[in-house]
Amino acid sequence: MKILLIEDDAHTATFVANGLREHGHVVEHSASGRDGLFLASGGGHDVMVIDRMLPVVDGLTIVKTLRGAGVKTPVLLLTTLGGVNDRVDGLEAGADDYLTKPFAFAELLARVNALARRPPMAGESTVLQVGDLELNRLKRTVTRAGKRIELQSQEFRLLEYLMRHAGQVVTRTMLLENVWEFHFDPHTSVVETHISRLRAKVDRDFDGELIHTIRGSGYSLDVAR
Amino acid sequence: MSPGNFLRSTSFRLLVWYAGIFGASVAALFFIVYWITQATLSQQLSDSVEREKEVLTELYRGGGLDRLARAIQLRVVDLRPPRRYYLLQDAAGEHIAGNLFPMDPVEGARELPVSSLFPNRGSKKEELEDIYPVVVDGSLLDGGEFLLVGENKYRAEKAREAIIKAFGWGIAIMVLLAAGGGAALGGGFLRRIEEINRTTRSIMDGDLSQRVPTRSGGDEMDQLAVNLNAMLDRNQLLMESLKQVSNDIAHDLRTPLSRLRHRFEAARPQTEADCAFLIEQSIAEIDAILETFSALLRIGQIESGARHAAFSDVDLAQIVSAVAEAYVPVAEDRGQQLQVVVNSAPAIRGDRELLTQMAANLIENAINHCPAGVVITVALEQDAAIPVLCIADTGPGIPAAELNKVLRRFYRLEASRTTPGSGLGLALVKAIAELHGASVELSDNRPGLRVTVRFPAAGRRELLSGPRAMRGSPSTA
Repeated sequence: MKILLIEDDAHTATFVANGLREHGHVVEHSASGRDGLFLASGGGHDVMVIDRMLPVVDGLTIVKTLRGAGVKTPVLLLTTLGGVNDRVDGLEAGADDYLTKPFAFAELLARVNALARRPPMAGESTVLQVGDLELNRLKRTVTRAGKRIELQSQEFRLLEYLMRHAGQVVTRTMLLENVWEFHFDPHTSVVETHISRLRAKVDRDFDGELIHTIRGSGYSLDVAR
Repeated sequence: MSPGNFLRSTSFRLLVWYAGIFGASVAALFFIVYWITQATLSQQLSDSVEREKEVLTELYRGGGLDRLARAIQLRVVDLRPPRRYYLLQDAAGEHIAGNLFPMDPVEGARELPVSSLFPNRGSKKEELEDIYPVVVDGSLLDGGEFLLVGENKYRAEKAREAIIKAFGWGIAIMVLLAAGGGAALGGGFLRRIEEINRTTRSIMDGDLSQRVPTRSGGDEMDQLAVNLNAMLDRNQLLMESLKQVSNDIAHDLRTPLSRLRHRFEAARPQTEADCAFLIEQSIAEIDAILETFSALLRIGQIESGARHAAFSDVDLAQIVSAVAEAYVPVAEDRGQQLQVVVNSAPAIRGDRELLTQMAANLIENAINHCPAGVVITVALEQDAAIPVLCIADTGPGIPAAELNKVLRRFYRLEASRTTPGSGLGLALVKAIAELHGASVELSDNRPGLRVTVRFPAAGRRELLSGPRAMRGSPSTA
């Protein structure tokens, strides 16, 4: 993937750019908002990672300008610690996702991947299928190998999210935000507990594990790894 | 307050304007009264003179010259004011009767200065009323005699003097009253401004406890003073909370940082696996520190009230049941029982994200501090149309003396030093509750702890949300 990184802090920029390159991405870096906006308008990027606090032209302005100009490239906005309202402001400006510094690189990578492969909302099918696992979003039913699986509503939403991002790594934070709408880090094993419950229902009595734990990153739902 | 200060003040300028406008209207009134009085009195005077002349002319016609002369003799001895003047002279200009010297016979009414009537008397003023000008009316009688009747302008002059005197006194008193009253009023006003200035100066000099003196009058100045004091209270509270936060950070972050330092100091990694383990442990430690920072900043931001902007109508029942549902399996895995009793509640104005975190923190607090076997109850009820969130457990509880301390930042019970957590969970709950105008009460559940969050009644809620900009509740990407 071709990723545009607009970040003025040299340390963070190197950390992010090197990490993304290690994972096979092409990274274009700009240290100033103005140059970044110029590069971004050129197009051709799959994902843009933009720091919110930039000299002269800040991240929010870049996103607003790009969206105003009709550039639809997914944007991941980075911000410094603590801005409680920042996430809402960023999403309202047109960013697709939001990550607070300091962050684990695995978190950034998972989110960049999720953004790049984000399916268009309107075209989402009612039936999600991964291997022999099938989830019907309208009937709210789940079957595996033709056998009906009964899920609690939160388990259903968890599985639905995993299946929509099948083959990708989803982090614990992404699950908390998207399945439970928890925008904070709980001090109990909410995610782990629900994943293990879901595994017990989806994986235990069937051949082939679908839900995988990715050490240091999160989880992934995939046919074979 | 110096005099120069007073002359520059708004109240003094207002006073001058007011006195000026008032003085102008009094002057206009004076001129109108003066003019009308003078016109009326001179009309009366000329009428009176003309009537007297007609009476005497009738006497002459009825009784002849002698009778007229006698009547004039009788009249001239009357010296009461207003002084009247008479002259009767024959056709040759010889004096017959009256108190005036003979003169050229001029018919008709006119006004003469008293000096022209008594040319020989000079300027000597023997009798006061003699100084007034005289209105005379003369006419030639049938026999060629000349009759002149006059009356001095005593009444008109007296009336003029009285009017001038009255208005003079009136204006003098008005000016005194305006100046005195205005100075007193303006002085009071300035004194209170000065009180406010003095207070703000003391505060700028560092004495934050200073407050503007208030009185119970309830006028605008009192309201200003009360509002200023409320603002100062709020500022002081924020300042103190800020100071408290920095102290807390200094004290409580030393511990994990020194632990980290010791870890590195003591580490003698032999293998690559040792290194990896050390790094992993240190990152976890640093993450915990960063999380404490972010929780502190979050509390600070919530306390500053900036989150009001994100308020919208939220369904508390839906939030609480969703959060509780997320924790039911967590509690089960720990051998605890989580009971959820959520009744539907009217929508309240609030921040969905923060209310979710509040409910989660309260439930986690119960789960983390209770052993296996306890029952945790999450209940949302309505008490007199007020939504009440109640989270109760049957765990070890909190000693009565420490019940209210646990809402403070970093406050941890001795017994729970070893359980994970930053000691900020309940402080965050308190901050979120206060942002929503709700109260947090900790009580003994016999056994265990009961946390009750009482949301405000509808009226108060309106007041809190006020005319602020509304935004949709934050949604996930």
